[in-house]
Parts: sequence; C-alpha cells; structure tokens
Amino acid sequence: MDNQKHKYLIVDCHSHIASEEHTPLSFIEGSIANIVVSLSAQGVPVTAKKLTNMFLSKMQDPLADGLVAEMEEGGISKSVLLIPDFTFALKDCKLTIEESFNRHREVLRRHQGKFEVFGGVDPRWGKDGLALFERSLVEFGFRGLKLYPPCGYNPSDPALFPYYELCAYHRVPVLLHIGPTSPVLDFSISSPFLLDEAARLFPNVNFILAHGAVSFVEECIMMCRFRPNVYLDISGYQATLGYDPEATAIKKVVSVGINHKVLFGTDFPVFRLQGDQKTFVDALISESGPLAELNERERSLVLHQNVERLLESSVGVAA
Amino acid sequence: MEPDAALDEQIISLIASNIAGKFKKVNICKQTSLQKELGLDSIGMLALVFRFEELFGVDIAQMGIEVNVAKLKTVDDLINAGRDILSKAQASQVS
Repeated sequence: MDNQKHKYLIVDCHSHIASEEHTPLSFIEGSIANIVVSLSAQGVPVTAKKLTNMFLSKMQDPLADGLVAEMEEGGISKSVLLIPDFTFALKDCKLTIEESFNRHREVLRRHQGKFEVFGGVDPRWGKDGLALFERSLVEFGFRGLKLYPPCGYNPSDPALFPYYELCAYHRVPVLLHIGPTSPVLDFSISSPFLLDEAARLFPNVNFILAHGAVSFVEECIMMCRFRPNVYLDISGYQATLGYDPEATAIKKVVSVGINHKVLFGTDFPVFRLQGDQKTFVDALISESGPLAELNERERSLVLHQNVERLLESSVGVAA
Repeated sequence: MEPDAALDEQIISLIASNIAGKFKKVNICKQTSLQKELGLDSIGMLALVFRFEELFGVDIAQMGIEVNVAKLKTVDDLINAGRDILSKAQASQVS
C-alpha cells in the first residue's frame, strides 16, 4: 500500500481545521451524546466528559500543521478547508465568523499551495455577512461558499440569492452540508431536494452536495444525474467502514454513470478518533476498495480532476 | 502460561467480547485486521479502550498516554499498545 501513496494525484474537497476555535463545544457535545448512548447501551463504562476530552485532544491543530503532515502521509496534494458558519445558530462559538475567516486566511498563507478555502456565512447575518463573503473572494483568496442548512435555513432561501450571484460572478462553487449532523441542529432542512430551486435558478453556479454517499444517497445521485450544475462529495464514508469495510455505498455512487460529478473528500478531522488520512485513502484505493473497478480516467476524475475543474473556473487572488 | 501470553489471551478475549454480527465467526489471531476483518469501527474501538481500562483498573487519559487509534490496525497492534499502557502504569506506581 505504501507504494500507492504517490500513485494517484488526490485532492480532498472536504476538510476542516481541527480546532475548537471554529467548532463550538455544543456542536461537539451533541455529536458525542449519540456515542455515549450507544456505548452505555452496551454496558461500556463511559462518560460524555471523558469522550469529549478524547475528541478535543484531536482538535489542537489551529495552524493545520498536523493536517499538512497527514496529507503528505496519505498522498493528498491539496485540501479544501471549509468554514461552516455556526455563529448565528449556536451562541457558544469562540470566534466571530470574521475572525474565523481571518484564521483561515493565515493558514492559507502559511501553507502555500496546500489549501483552498470555502468561506461560509449564515444568510441571516444580512448585508454584513454578504460583504464579508465578497471580501473573502476578492481579498482573502477564498474559492467557494460553504453552506450549513441545518443551522436553520433553506439552501433555496432567497436570502442566499445574492451569495449565489456573487458565486456566479466570481465563478466559484457552493458546497452544502446534506443529511443529519450534530443533534443540536435541525435535520429537517438537510435534504438535497431543498437545493433544487436554487440549482435551477442559478445554472451557472456549481453546487456540491456534501456526504452524498452517506445520506440521501438516492436523492443525491438523482440531483447529480439531472441537474448539470450539481455534484456530490463522498466525505463521511469513514462512518460506514466499520460495518461495511467494502464501502458499498461508494461503490454504488461510482457505478451509476455520474463519475464526472463525484468528488473525493474526507471531512477531516471528524473521524480522527477512527484513523488518519492515509488510512482513509488506503481504504478507498486498495485493490478491494470501492474505486478498484474504475478505469484510470474515472478514478482520476473522482480523486482530483472533478474538483480541480470546479476550482479552475474561478480566477482566484493571492491570500 | 507465561505472563505475556496470559496478557495476550486477556486482550484477545476482550476483543472477542466486542465483536458483533457476522464478524463473530472470524477466528482471531494476532494478524487479524481490527477494522476489515472484525468490523471494529470508531465506536467499537472506543468501547475496547474503555473496557480495557475497566479490566485493568487504569485511566489512560489520567496517565497522560495518548492512544492513537489510527495506528491500531491489527490485534497484535492492540496487544502491544496494551502492554505499553500497563508497563507505564506499573512504572508510575513504583515511582
């Protein structure tokens, strides 16, 4: 497997900086509550506090030095850092969204060529939020918009249309969370079909459905097949590897004729307790992995070319 | 049975008690893959760590030891990690 490290060019379209600065404790504790319920039911002696501390020990990489090391080990040449804006919905965020953008800008400068950043703004921040997003494209060198609808808004809400107009003008993609998430947020607005109106009204904007091989898989495939400007990423597949080591959900996604729409992603650092980036890459590209039956061209599309195509249409500025 | 062998057996028994479903049929040896062959996902690995603490009366976090689950690929990796933790626990009791 080691010799596979450099065999493929790989770009991770879905990752985050591992730091509590950008992810509120309430979000983490909510996610951990599910693990506590599962372990407690099995009679495992565990407390939420202990699990939280274990996870937080993996969230101490604010400058992304650790992530860069893991990328190198896993053969990932570039990663897209996403900034979900939790600051409107969850009031225990350590940073304002503007401060969070600035931290990401520092990381972009620190690791030249290793990252792209998609900034996220909750549309309920109004004109200030829109202005910040535009600055992120024009001044900071960010290359996309990250949306987190479970924070309490619909991706086809007209309040987002000015953002989509900016994305069309600057030719940058939008990546939005799909499916359930931390239980402190609203699952009912996490369906890919909620994007349909926006995808139809903004045909010049490319939309990426995050976790499309994990949640609402059939619906995500459908959107990708019938909306020319809708893509999906496979991040979060690590959650299924325990009970499904062959990752059959990914096998399905890459066997229905949409490999020009499927993007590799890991959702680092969400699965850091489970493994590192190399582990997750190896699981995908091994001889028994879900990409094994693809030909070279299709594999390249999924591992890097699709996201590169979406990124190269934007102009980009120095960070 | 040698002390090391006894410890190995304890850890393998611990692993076996955490395996569920179709993976129960797997014959566990030192080379067995924890994830691919035994279906141990992140929650399964966490359960193993906590049951290990309970069985041997140690608190890994309090000891300042970081268990890197990513490096635990096989049963043998887990046995070695267990030995390491217990030797550190014994050393801290002596000092």
